[in-house]
Amino acid sequence: MTTTRRPPTRNEQLQQTILYPVDWLEERSGLVGGIRYFLFRKVPGDINWFQTLGSATLTAFIVQALTGSILAMYYKPDPNSAYPSIQHITNDVFAGWLVRGMHRWGASVFIILMFLHMGRVFLFGAYKYPRELNWIIGVLLLAMGLGEGFTGYLLPWDQTAYWATVVGINLNGTAPFLGPFIAQFLQGGTYINADTLPRFYAIHMLLIPGAIFALIGLHLYLVIRLGVTSPPWSKEAAGTGTMIPSQNGGRRGLTRPSTRRRSP
Amino acid sequence: MAASERIVERRRVFQQYKEDVRERGKPFYPFAMLHDTIMSLVVVLVITGLAIVWKYTTPGDHQTVEPGWLGRLYDEPADPGTINFVPRPDWYFYFLFYLLRIFKWPPTVVIGTVGLPTVLLILLLALPFIDLRSERRLSRRPVAIVAAILVVISMGVLTYKGATAKEALGTELLALVPSWAQQQGFENNEQALAGARLFAVAGCLNCHTYLGAGGTNLGAPDLSAEGAKNKGIKFQVDHLACPACVNPGSPMPSFSGLGKERLQQLAAFLEASKGPK
Amino acid sequence: MQPHDDHPHVPGPSLWPVGFAVGVVVLMIGLIVSWWIAGLGAIVALVFGFLWVRDLTVGTPLTHTPEVPPESPTGAAVPANVGAAAMAPASLSEERYPRSKFLEASTLGLGAVIGGIVTVPALGFMVGPPFLKQGQKERRLGPLSDFPEGRYVVATYTADPTQGVVSRRTAYVRANGLLDGQPSFSIISNHCAHLGCPVQPNGPLDQQNKKQHGEVTLIPTISIAGFGCPCHGGQYDTEGNRTSGPPVRALDRYSFAIRDGDLYIGTPFSVSHVEGTGKDATIHKWTFAYPGEHVDGLESWLYPIQPPH
Repeated sequence: MTTTRRPPTRNEQLQQTILYPVDWLEERSGLVGGIRYFLFRKVPGDINWFQTLGSATLTAFIVQALTGSILAMYYKPDPNSAYPSIQHITNDVFAGWLVRGMHRWGASVFIILMFLHMGRVFLFGAYKYPRELNWIIGVLLLAMGLGEGFTGYLLPWDQTAYWATVVGINLNGTAPFLGPFIAQFLQGGTYINADTLPRFYAIHMLLIPGAIFALIGLHLYLVIRLGVTSPPWSKEAAGTGTMIPSQNGGRRGLTRPSTRRRSP
Repeated sequence: MAASERIVERRRVFQQYKEDVRERGKPFYPFAMLHDTIMSLVVVLVITGLAIVWKYTTPGDHQTVEPGWLGRLYDEPADPGTINFVPRPDWYFYFLFYLLRIFKWPPTVVIGTVGLPTVLLILLLALPFIDLRSERRLSRRPVAIVAAILVVISMGVLTYKGATAKEALGTELLALVPSWAQQQGFENNEQALAGARLFAVAGCLNCHTYLGAGGTNLGAPDLSAEGAKNKGIKFQVDHLACPACVNPGSPMPSFSGLGKERLQQLAAFLEASKGPK
Repeated sequence: MQPHDDHPHVPGPSLWPVGFAVGVVVLMIGLIVSWWIAGLGAIVALVFGFLWVRDLTVGTPLTHTPEVPPESPTGAAVPANVGAAAMAPASLSEERYPRSKFLEASTLGLGAVIGGIVTVPALGFMVGPPFLKQGQKERRLGPLSDFPEGRYVVATYTADPTQGVVSRRTAYVRANGLLDGQPSFSIISNHCAHLGCPVQPNGPLDQQNKKQHGEVTLIPTISIAGFGCPCHGGQYDTEGNRTSGPPVRALDRYSFAIRDGDLYIGTPFSVSHVEGTGKDATIHKWTFAYPGEHVDGLESWLYPIQPPH
């Protein structure tokens, strides 16, 4: 490139202008390189549609986080104003019914997808070495997702919310030794009182999502670092052949023969 | 294979995996990311669609709490002093909800509430340490397949049964009395009608079932055709006053507290229930 | 450290500027808070400012700090009031306590102190209040005449008026006549002893004779055969004993008091079982426990300590 000394074309000029801020950012932070690495890293060529369930779960969680944060601008976490604020959001606020509905049904979709993703990982054996830690993080995420469902259920403060939470807290209370303390801690007192709703709200909005964000970050880091598995039924699964072509029948490993690139 | 050989072997396999992917893999963007994006779009569309259906199939102006296709937008406001409510968790907890009905003998209650769920969670967490084989082909993992099938079927059955579990609330049952009278044909029988109203609020349907209503959890007999057995008013009154005297070993509590007159009405109702026409 | 001749004239390290800065800050705070503090700040600033300026104008350049020989604690040629030598440690190369270890330990230690100062009170705030200052005041339910003898009345009241509707509760109240000249009542909680669902009276209610005293609602029952829980089918007799279903003990009861002819409801306690009926009943009383917890028998060992209620 440095040998030719003609002036840059319009196209090249345009490219350089666009890339200038990108290069500026990259030189000062290395972020662009990181994103490049994430986007252009290699994955096995024979991965399956089932393996999109993980990112689908992430999408569902992002929907929950966004709709939840926006709902928090209109929801009032006080026993006397919670129900009216929910009515207000559903009936009066512009698109409030949509955001609330997305949050409510997004919760169900998120949990279904988590279970499906867990099932897929189990059946693919993708919890085995070296991905055991990722599985453990995933189970913790599942438990926390269910915890979000439990704490969020109280927030509309209607009859179902209140009494389902009474039963749920008492369920925790039956745990041996620590049960009564857990129940009283969740309730904020001997009975559900004016502090219970803000407590559940703080747990639902801040404590558990904070933990979920951190664990998702770890989960994704491990996926990038350890790589994605090929489906177990794949004939040319990555990692199963030997690396020496003369010993594996000339087969060079991985992708199915395609029309675009033929393996030599 | 000794443990150290296993460790060396699996490290070699992982190395090989990385080599294979480096040589022959495809870049994540755009090949895999396209599939991810399509699936994410489906997810977002499903969520939005459900939200739209939830709102627009709910009748009325939403100032009342009528249910639509996907249930109510919200219930009545919370009333901690109510005596008329049966709570239900969200549907993804139905399998745990139904466990509570399975473990209903008092000494076993703690197993259903926290015992079993905790054990299952620990099993899930410990899975990578229980299954140490590196085999991933499904045809060579019979235990995994059987376990997966069992788990899916049992969670599915428990969730379904949790969803269809019936409870009996006095206020709702009272509204059913005219339909009962019509089905059983005792609209003109004043005693039987009074007995039917008592039957609805006296807690009978917590244990018994009648014409599709009532709780099945405690296994008490269905009473829809009790009258067809022709046991007679006196038998019914004696039984209600002291079930264990008439039926030794019966767990049914005594209803003598209702008073003689009401027991007569209940007996008339039971005898008039010959079974739906 | 070799002296450089073109090294700029830089004053040595000194605490006087720090003192001066502190004085200025205190002065400024005092201008807002109180004239005395302002005065104090001014004095401090003046003193340290004087010392600082005096330092600067002494004029001894400190561009070459003579190497402190290891064996002599004070460099002979360095005047005592000049910064570096006055503050240098006695013997730099022979330290009893290596500096890096000291730094490590103090960083971790300070970090622990900071962590403790921030988290311990915050955690205490999160975990403490549910267990402290629990307990309820007595609430007035109504005059004794509102409670017919031998019949249960469904009493809904607000346990804590400062909290409002969220503390509404229902209890089943039955007057039992006189015991040793005092009115006897059975007050049974409506929280099922299995998992806390609201328990229903098994019998018709007398809605016509409903009474209201402020926020207390009293609905007499006509006659009931006991209590039943619609959630999982738990059944109780008229004394609250469990007769069938999953409940693990009898229904909780409330203590009560009679003042000036009015019935007051008090704090709840748990009951394992009740023998007898009405005013002659023997109630086996236990500390209040949450639903689902056994209070007697083998399984009560699972719940040895109750939190403060």
